Amino acid sequence: MKSFSNIIKVTLFVLALAVPCFAEKIVVEGSTTVLPIAQKAAEVFMNSNPGVDISVRGGGSGVGIASLIDGSCDIGDSSRPIKDTELDKAVSNNRSLKANVIAMDGICVIVHPSNAVSALSKQQVKDIFKGSISNWQKLGGPDEKIVAVSRDSSSGTFEAFGTLVLDGEKVRSDALMQASNQAVASTVSRTPGAIGYVGLGYLTASVKAVDVDGVKASKETVLSGKYPIGRPLFMYTNGAPKGLVKQFIDYILSKEGQKLVEEEGFVGLN
Amino acid sequence: MRKFVVAVLLLGFIVVGTGVRTSCAGEIDLLLQKLVEKGVLTAGEAQQIGTETKEQIKAEIAAGQYSSLPAWVQNTKLKGDFRLRYQMEHTSGSTSRTYRQRERIRLRLGVESKANEKLLVGIGLATGLNDGSADAARSTNATLENGFSKKIISLDYAYAQYMPNSWMTLIGGKFKNPLWEPGDLIWDTDINPEGGVIQLSRKLNSRVEGFLNAGVLVLDELSTSNHDPMLNVVQSGVKIGLSDTVSLKTALSFYNAAKVKGQKLDGTAGTNRNNGTASGNQLLDGYTTLTPAAEITVKDPLKSLGIELPMLGVFGEYVNNPQAKDNGNGYMVGCKFGAEKVSKWGDWQFAYNFAQLQQNAVLDILPDSDRVGGKTGVRAHEGILQFGLGKNTALNIDYYYGWNMASKHAGAHVAQVDWNVKF
Repeated sequence: MKSFSNIIKVTLFVLALAVPCFAEKIVVEGSTTVLPIAQKAAEVFMNSNPGVDISVRGGGSGVGIASLIDGSCDIGDSSRPIKDTELDKAVSNNRSLKANVIAMDGICVIVHPSNAVSALSKQQVKDIFKGSISNWQKLGGPDEKIVAVSRDSSSGTFEAFGTLVLDGEKVRSDALMQASNQAVASTVSRTPGAIGYVGLGYLTASVKAVDVDGVKASKETVLSGKYPIGRPLFMYTNGAPKGLVKQFIDYILSKEGQKLVEEEGFVGLN
Repeated sequence: MRKFVVAVLLLGFIVVGTGVRTSCAGEIDLLLQKLVEKGVLTAGEAQQIGTETKEQIKAEIAAGQYSSLPAWVQNTKLKGDFRLRYQMEHTSGSTSRTYRQRERIRLRLGVESKANEKLLVGIGLATGLNDGSADAARSTNATLENGFSKKIISLDYAYAQYMPNSWMTLIGGKFKNPLWEPGDLIWDTDINPEGGVIQLSRKLNSRVEGFLNAGVLVLDELSTSNHDPMLNVVQSGVKIGLSDTVSLKTALSFYNAAKVKGQKLDGTAGTNRNNGTASGNQLLDGYTTLTPAAEITVKDPLKSLGIELPMLGVFGEYVNNPQAKDNGNGYMVGCKFGAEKVSKWGDWQFAYNFAQLQQNAVLDILPDSDRVGGKTGVRAHEGILQFGLGKNTALNIDYYYGWNMASKHAGAHVAQVDWNVKF
């Protein structure tokens, strides 16, 4: 009887070891902006689906789309729409890429609450962060030096701001580079002449958000596309999502998934 | 379900009602706005449907344009480039000096055609000689000379490539060099090797990609013997993203030149140790070399100083031939900085390298033909400036100063000014 029990134990042990080999697996790769959403969603999704293995990698939007085209990933994360050259490559490789919008990225421009300036044009924001405008007086504010506060270059918010506002130009060299959205908001809240930018989810009462091109930053204006510093975030798939890929994307689009999106500082679609 | 119905209706309206066109973005937005106002959709659903519909239309237009082309056009790519070169050379021996100026052109025309999803055939033609001389493998130049004479066009490459999966490629024929080298210490970039190779490449994780190239390259065919000279090659390497801005590529290559001892190879520069007989300078050494090489590239290296420099790279390569009786080492060190790729007006890149190749370090049919005539037993500096003139066109200035290691008097200055156009 004891030997029978041992056999059962050994069998269960072997089965436990073998389970990961039979786990359903998908690979998600691409945009560093989308990465925190994908990582968080994968973590929660795998916890509630033990037989599933979701491998999430960064690399950038171009890498994600290229990997999807060459078949080395199942979901290509991207913070921009697919380029024509990528589309041509996909078509010539018999791939029919499907865009799945999973969230919106909205970036608020913030200043110290005491600052009299409450609206700027996108061009003025660009000029400030490029270094062409360095005093608030030029913008109708006090005679005070502008202190630019930016996210560090490894962040997705920095990348989004560079694309949507700076048109690829460099941030001024004297900008204070911060490691997180909270650090940007905190620095701006403590520095009267400061201007910074944070994801919409990180807007707090300790800073003042300025209108851009006459539009107030809000979930509604980002979703409607009226706010000029916003963009959709994508998970591209090869054709309409199926199987585990569909389950994962459906999860991100669910109420629970969109809550995770907002916890990461992005704008949910719900 | 509601979102799905709206998306289908939207696509149907655009395709059937107005025809597929790129200017329909405004109509989609207007329709979605109305649906949001009437409470049919939320703003988020409208954004999602609108963006996905526009992307879908883009994809369908691309697919439609593609599928309307004849099958052979869909499966074939044509590419090429033209180069106009002015070259100035000054060579000096212990007792003589020579000055020479040449105007040269290079034309390369290539076609790649898919036979099926996994099989591809590539064919390329280029200016250049095909007579087995030192220039035949290592140069694609045609000199402007001989009273407007026509120029020779030769077969530059012809190969079949089979890709059974995304990480394996098999190539046979005469093909573009599949071996990675950070500079041109061993291989002139004009050489298209012949034989067969297998290439394996696989991402090990998000930052590491490993690769392996192995093959047998045919150096010559002897009509009177079955001991044909061959070059057996194995190269194993890895690409590592050390951070978001720093990457390392490194490889170790093993070359075994079989059956070359006692042979005189076509295209030789005549500098490897040989028996110096009237019948033909047969090689006296074997050539089995081990070559480590590495390149580190840094993006935006001077950003903290507020200086805009997109890329800085440093590289090095070493070669050792233990089969040589003596003088069996070589190395190259160099750097490059500027744009990663010179692709538009104002882009620039500067590169510099210093190379030393002892007499018997590598077969003298392989190294860069512009570096002291492609000889071994030389040291040389090279500086290259590339400047973008526009899309697909650039100006290159390449300067070599090299000398014979046995005699510093035997030096060679070569300056090349190139205008390149790709198509």
